[in-house]
Amino acid sequence: MSLLAVATLDKSFGERRLLSIDALCLSAGEHYVLTGENGSGKSTLLRILAGIEAADGGVGHFGERRFDWWPYPNWLRQEVIYVHQQPYLFHTSVAENIAYGLRARGVEASQRERLVAAAIAWARLGHLRQTPPQKLSGGERQRVALARAWVLAPKVLLLDEPTANLDAESRQQTIDLVRAFCGPGRTAVIACHDRDMIALANMRRLHLVDGQIRQNSAPAL
Amino acid sequence: MGLLDATHAALRLLLSGDAELWTIVGVSLSVTLRAMLIAVPVGIGCGYLLATLRFPGRRALIVLIQGLLASPTVVVGLLLYLLLSRQGVFGQLHLLFTQTAMVIGQVLIALPVLIAFSLAAIQGADPRARETAVALGASASRIGWTMLVEVRFALMAAVCNAFGRVVSEIGCALMVGGNIAGVTRNIPTAIALETSKGDFAQGIALGIVLLVVALGVNSAFAFFQGESRR
Ligand SMILES: Nc1ncnc2c1ncn2[C@@H]1O[C@H](COP(=O)(O)OP(=O)(O)O)[C@@H](O)[C@H]1O
Ligand SMILES: [Mg+2]
Repeated sequence: MSLLAVATLDKSFGERRLLSIDALCLSAGEHYVLTGENGSGKSTLLRILAGIEAADGGVGHFGERRFDWWPYPNWLRQEVIYVHQQPYLFHTSVAENIAYGLRARGVEASQRERLVAAAIAWARLGHLRQTPPQKLSGGERQRVALARAWVLAPKVLLLDEPTANLDAESRQQTIDLVRAFCGPGRTAVIACHDRDMIALANMRRLHLVDGQIRQNSAPAL
Repeated sequence: MGLLDATHAALRLLLSGDAELWTIVGVSLSVTLRAMLIAVPVGIGCGYLLATLRFPGRRALIVLIQGLLASPTVVVGLLLYLLLSRQGVFGQLHLLFTQTAMVIGQVLIALPVLIAFSLAAIQGADPRARETAVALGASASRIGWTMLVEVRFALMAAVCNAFGRVVSEIGCALMVGGNIAGVTRNIPTAIALETSKGDFAQGIALGIVLLVVALGVNSAFAFFQGESRR
């Protein structure tokens, strides 16, 4: 069953037509690696899907619901989370970063604390609770960002090269978290070239070339 | 009286708790603090809106504000004088030569500094900060608050800069305050006018106070600027 689908989606930068997608279907319970050359538009596509970059035009479906990509509907922000390739952490604390989306959703304090504690345990960040976010390593930042997304239980998770620029150990930890994130009723798109990520179970492949998506119904490997 | 004797007398004035001296210091601090209390939220708010909203005339407005940064305070004072004097538009309010007039003048001097600095601070913020707040579902007001908190050190630097500028300015305070003893005589006007009457000791004492305040504010400014660039 399709969870998030692109019927059409267009994006140009100046004269250059970057994306013109006429079909992309993300199914619940399925997870996708998005491959494509550098500069092919992977980040731009994910950012448009998450509503932090304006599309020139196009229509999408969330379940049965139809919407325009721009202006992006507010209700969809509750379902879709994008994580930057190099995540930005607010200059507060690890716990406050993870609590940010919960505060935005008006979750009351005691439940918020419970959820944040669960997310900290989930991403194994317990020993870093007191560390200022700016002092964290790249892998630790990635894990805080994943916990910050996980705690909101989004239906659609969009990750931009989560394992690029990470050492081997952080890379493995991140892959483990991505696997733990994926589940029934959800979908994830991970822009990445990491073979171990591609090899995860139930991982399907999306290939971006010439602004269009080649969707392969067979598993990625 | 020699310079050495005058300095000696100045130190004695400072340490003896001279009422006249500390009244002057009190006027300066009270006027400037009230002006900052008004100018800081307004200035930062305008800076944020100017950085965030797109509207016709925005570029021209930014250029104008940056131009006002360089406006001589005595000209601000003159303008305010004309507005507040008996024949002026606001003459009926009888505000000329009151502390309120000085507060208004200092607000006008501080605003361009605060607006221009906070505009630059927010424009200089990492674009991912706003994107992250948006992606996590924050409302417009929460995004705004988050951005201000993220650039808080740059904003504190802006506040210090504005404070330093208004606490030491003389042109406007003199024009609309009038240097009335015990009411509108503040540190800069007292130094300029009383020293010329021969009261070197008080001038030096006040100069030391102003120097200490300015040094404190400037070190804070430098500290916050350093922090904001980390
Ligand atoms: N804001 C922008 N303005 C102009 N060009 C952009 C902008 N953002 C991205 N691009 C261009 O779009 C292309 C795709 O970028 P991106 O989506 O980051 O690709 P990928 O993630 O696949 O490497 C690149 O050539 C990039 O230079
Ligand atoms: Mg990219």
